[in-house]
Amino acid sequence: MLEVKDLHVSVDGKKILKGLNLTINAGEVHAIMGPNGAGKSTLSNVIAGRDGYEITSGSITYKNDDLLEMSPEERAWAGVFLAFQYPVEIPGVNNTYLLKAGVNAKRKHQGLEELDAFDFMQTVKEKAKLVELDPSFLSRSVNEGFSGGEKKRNEIFQMAVLEPSLALLDETDSGLDIDALRIVAGGVNKLRSPDKAIVMITHYQRLLDYIEPDFVHVLADGVIQKTGDKSLAVELEKHGYDWVKENK
Amino acid sequence: MSVLTQTRQDALNLFEKLGLPTQRDEDWKYTDASRLKDLLEPTPVDENIHIKDMGITGLDAYRMVFINGLFAEAESNLPEGVSILSLAELEKNSVGDDAEGIAKLFTVDTQAPLINGFNAYNAAKASDGAVIILADHAILTKPLYILHISNQSNVIRHSFMIGQHAQAEIIEHFISTGDNKALSNSCSFVALKAEAHLEHSRIQQEGDKQSHVARVQVKQCKKSSYTFHGVELGAALSRTDLVVNLHGEGASCDLNGLFVLGGRQHADHHTRIDHKAPHCTSRELYRTVLDGRSHGVFNGKVLVHEGAIKTDSNMSNGNILLSKNAEIDTKPELEIYNDDVKCAHGATIGQLDDKQLFYLRSRGISAEAAQELLTFAFADEVLVAMRNQTVRSYVEKAAFAKLPHSDDLEEMLGS
Repeated sequence: MLEVKDLHVSVDGKKILKGLNLTINAGEVHAIMGPNGAGKSTLSNVIAGRDGYEITSGSITYKNDDLLEMSPEERAWAGVFLAFQYPVEIPGVNNTYLLKAGVNAKRKHQGLEELDAFDFMQTVKEKAKLVELDPSFLSRSVNEGFSGGEKKRNEIFQMAVLEPSLALLDETDSGLDIDALRIVAGGVNKLRSPDKAIVMITHYQRLLDYIEPDFVHVLADGVIQKTGDKSLAVELEKHGYDWVKENK
Repeated sequence: MSVLTQTRQDALNLFEKLGLPTQRDEDWKYTDASRLKDLLEPTPVDENIHIKDMGITGLDAYRMVFINGLFAEAESNLPEGVSILSLAELEKNSVGDDAEGIAKLFTVDTQAPLINGFNAYNAAKASDGAVIILADHAILTKPLYILHISNQSNVIRHSFMIGQHAQAEIIEHFISTGDNKALSNSCSFVALKAEAHLEHSRIQQEGDKQSHVARVQVKQCKKSSYTFHGVELGAALSRTDLVVNLHGEGASCDLNGLFVLGGRQHADHHTRIDHKAPHCTSRELYRTVLDGRSHGVFNGKVLVHEGAIKTDSNMSNGNILLSKNAEIDTKPELEIYNDDVKCAHGATIGQLDDKQLFYLRSRGISAEAAQELLTFAFADEVLVAMRNQTVRSYVEKAAFAKLPHSDDLEEMLGS
């Protein structure tokens, strides 16, 4: 589904990613862990298409297309979704309108009929339950006045409505208390399916107790240093990142 | 000479003394009023304007229509038992003691802030206006919708007197027909007694050859509250002076302004809030969205007088320029003469927020629709404070029509 090859990325002239390789297949759940400044968020932002990142070499192929040639909205239409680390507040833009426009833009692109208002609201209400999001949030402005935990929950709710093929969760667990983490993780687990892939970026092994990954990657100094299964996360927690570098 | 005639004559003399403001006046630095000189004289003719279906349709309200500055009684619908009168009628029928009271409606307070020649001219030449006297504890059960329709220069003068604990909503709407070059000169005087409440909207939507000069002067007694919504969509040139005197303890005002301009339109609001008593609150939110070669001017001054302790004042002005030829001149001003206050003010001029744009696009909204949506949302935020949903949705539609909007966005908001 996603093939990142020898990716080099700089921000303001500073090299962040230095030849990163990553292959993700449908149905898989990957966790990317690593110290601060390793390039984890850079990777997810580059995949989602954010400006301000200079791709000096390498490629990203998504479902046989050159992802780097696509605009952020084209990527969304093709099924890429980023759950933001810091979801932005957008006063005056209604949460439900945004989702409806997003869903319909995607359907239009796929040559499908637009959803009618009633069907859409049914779906939305169903998905809100999935992450135990209070229905009152649906009619509010996007993230405006939401607590940190509510914003993260709203991201997963959006993911549930937009039904992406490839979901990137950028530190979705940070700032969540244990109950909220359980709810969010429950939501994510329900979205697992053989035709979807999930990439979780996290600092903590804690999240992986709730969402069990197929692969754990350690990203440090701009490259994947080590790849393993869930037990790698446990080792990491025990020994720290330096251990990875020493035991490459 | 009767006291009334004398008052009008005094106003004319004052006008001759003041003349029209020039760009040498600090308060008129960015607005050239000289081109309005030949348009001053009102032509109060009740032309056969076909007014059916004009204005805000579907609004459940009492209605007062003025055509070229003259009250059109046949087009109006007024409540029983509330004093809503025509200024011209009052003037015509005034005798004896009455005359003195009525003369006061034409008096120019030369000490009031931002007084200018247009205001003096208005007092001298006003052809009509609404005089509303709401008794203590009275509640106007429906909004009063004052529709002004013009195709000639007109001079109109309203007075809204709201009694103790009384409540009202008044919507002033200005539209024009034809494409005459003409000037509307409008003054509205608002007096709020203790614990009175008024929600007051002014929606200026005149034609693009028209000009519009207005003064809104408000005096607030103890614990009264005043909410203002000023919307500038029309006219080639418009200028409003909004002057609020927080005179009684615990009074509060909430001033909202929105300009959506394009072409060569010019709109200027000068606002002035005087905190004269303790424990008063003022909130001010002004936003402009400027396209083409349009020019916006915002000058907001808050003056906290000695003794006005526990003043709480917040002013914010945001501006988005959609074209490199559009221009905004903004100046929030704060003068404080005591220590025990909480005041904040700020202005921003800018482009749209990159993070918000990216967020929307990452959810599948096209770049173009995302920009338009954020622009609309920016303007719409000022209208959130409008409690009348019929008026709000009318203004939203009118503002939306003036903003760039692709099919994508129409679909998005239309559903």
